Amino acid sequence: MARMKFICDAERCIECNGCVTACKSEHEVPWGVNRRRLVTVNDGKPGERSISVACMHCTDAPCMAVCPVDCFYKTEEGVVLHDKDLCIGCGYCFYACPFGAPQFPQAGAFGLRGKMDKCTFCAGGPEENNTEAEFKKYGRNRLAEGKLPACAEMCSTKALLAGDGEVIATIYKQRVQTRRKGEEVWGWAQAYKMDARIAPLGAKS
Amino acid sequence: MSARRASVVGASLLALTVGACGEIDQTVKSEKIYAGKKDVRAADGAAFGGDKKKWEATLVERSKTQNEYLRTDVKK
Repeated sequence: MARMKFICDAERCIECNGCVTACKSEHEVPWGVNRRRLVTVNDGKPGERSISVACMHCTDAPCMAVCPVDCFYKTEEGVVLHDKDLCIGCGYCFYACPFGAPQFPQAGAFGLRGKMDKCTFCAGGPEENNTEAEFKKYGRNRLAEGKLPACAEMCSTKALLAGDGEVIATIYKQRVQTRRKGEEVWGWAQAYKMDARIAPLGAKS
Repeated sequence: MSARRASVVGASLLALTVGACGEIDQTVKSEKIYAGKKDVRAADGAAFGGDKKKWEATLVERSKTQNEYLRTDVKK
């Protein structure tokens, strides 16, 4: 069975914001909400790296653990989704998430927060697949169409990989063994409780 | 120091030393049960009609297109 994961290859990301734009456009995400964003470390210094960050759909998701109304669930493929009809916009998930993934639209005056919005791995939410209701609340359900998340498919350098964990790990492994550097996968240790080096240098494929 | 005072000090020190040994686990253990609406599986949509194997195979094939070594037909 497929276990959906993201890999961001920091050696390849050129900070073009193509993934961010693809996500915003695909799901018609409202102004002020960024399901995916780019983080640059060591900006302007030697060793500068950019990483595309969104919900990593963690194995043991902290957002699920802290939600007071239990609106989170995990699909068979390991995608963490939530029911917006149940969400009260408390923001606990935002504080629990190590990736800063949960987003809250400014729904009114005086800093009033709307219901939480986050990356769905382009898998929609708890509505009938590919319906108007699902699109309005959660965005397009590309997985039900047999497609991968728009961010990864749009990535020009293929720094962002999405799909079955085993398949994308194999792709990454081949890359590392070819270029002989950049073996650490950002975020994997935190999200999937795995060794961040899925492709140790020198290992035979 | 009287014997009584010594025994009180001794007992206090012992209590302080082993105090943490009997600490009760304060981690909240609760089963989180999803309370929202039931979702439909991705394979159950109109495109695949519930054929999970076909859906998985389609996604794996699509995932492999992210490998430019295969796309450019470079043997590594």
